[in-house]
Amino acid sequence: MALEMSGEYVLPRDRKAVYVALNDAEMLRKCIPGCEELTKASDNEFAAVVKMTIGPVSARFKGKVRLVDLDPPNGYRIEGEGEGGVAGFAQGGAKVELTEVPEGTRLTYNAEANVGGKIAQLGQRLLAGSAKKIADKFFANFTAELS
Amino acid sequence: MYDFSFHRPADLASAEGYLKAAEAKLLAGGQTLIPTMKQRLAAPKHLVDLSNVAGLTGIERKGRNLVIGAMTRHAEVAGSGVVNKAIPALGLLAEGIGDPAVRNRGTIGGSLANNDPSADYPAACLALDATIITNKREIGADEFFTGLFETALGADEIVTRVSFPVPIKAAYLKFPNPASRYALVGVFVAKDTDGVRVAVTGAGESGVFRVPAMERALSKKFSAKAVEGIKIDPSTLISDIHGSAAYRAHLVGVLARRAVETIAKTK
Repeated sequence: MALEMSGEYVLPRDRKAVYVALNDAEMLRKCIPGCEELTKASDNEFAAVVKMTIGPVSARFKGKVRLVDLDPPNGYRIEGEGEGGVAGFAQGGAKVELTEVPEGTRLTYNAEANVGGKIAQLGQRLLAGSAKKIADKFFANFTAELS
Repeated sequence: MYDFSFHRPADLASAEGYLKAAEAKLLAGGQTLIPTMKQRLAAPKHLVDLSNVAGLTGIERKGRNLVIGAMTRHAEVAGSGVVNKAIPALGLLAEGIGDPAVRNRGTIGGSLANNDPSADYPAACLALDATIITNKREIGADEFFTGLFETALGADEIVTRVSFPVPIKAAYLKFPNPASRYALVGVFVAKDTDGVRVAVTGAGESGVFRVPAMERALSKKFSAKAVEGIKIDPSTLISDIHGSAAYRAHLVGVLARRAVETIAKTK
């Protein structure tokens, strides 16, 4: 099942600082909701364990996070995929763009996600709302960390 | 196959003790958790069954309030003379939940703690301005429901009772999904001396919500006409194979009008 999300945040820091933070493993670990582990596998690749909880459903996803199309300090694309055992799998990516504004930096993202397996049987009713909530939480955490 | 420990404490303090373990889940009626476990989409290490905990059941009228124990089954609420005298709309709501199996196992506390975006009870609590009483504190409905499947409950907090102020009149209208009888959209309207509250379930991506524009209009003039033309923004509504966000937004208006008409017709 495919999901699409987008959003926009204004961060009170300059583009360079935001870009550096977006590449920092510790920062990403703190901001990804439910992230239990995030370790650097190579310069632009991380191994991650993320616990996803949506109401009664709780599943641990193990997978990879990659940073591609690096264009400092204008943005990049963050991609990932994970296996959640019987729960199914999830993969997705987000194009992140940074533009200068008087208040600091405007971050816009366009994300798409694909979910399969039993967790997808939950139906779009829950997945669309949950995916949006996770994306919002990530950027809210990120904004809080930078402020 | 996976293992878990099953606990059936007889009092709240022991139940709270078991909850301190990592990956412990409360079992209040099991109408959501058990199917989820069977699907292997949840695998708690400890399951704490509340069915033997003393003092969590019962329905009573206490002055201006109707107080329902958290472990009271939907069927008991539906069949209660006390409920049907105080807030008939609440009895009808309970009667419309799921099927007989769900109504005989599911509990009001379980439904509220789960806060499924399509569950019926959250709409009643929000519209009636209920107070959710836990082992630690009292939480107003406006603060209790915090998002999709999320509540203000802490990790070791257990809902013990729900207290509903008895309104002058109330009605709950829902458009049920014909298979699950979950609310595709449900609207609860409550009219009290200090105004009108309108709560919507089944439609919001973040769960149950109030409609301030309708509340203002109905507090000024309580008629179905008053809510005509009040548009619901579909951008934050659920869209799925059963109905688009625009369809749900439209249903909110239709059901709100019908709820107001139902109230106007009751003595």
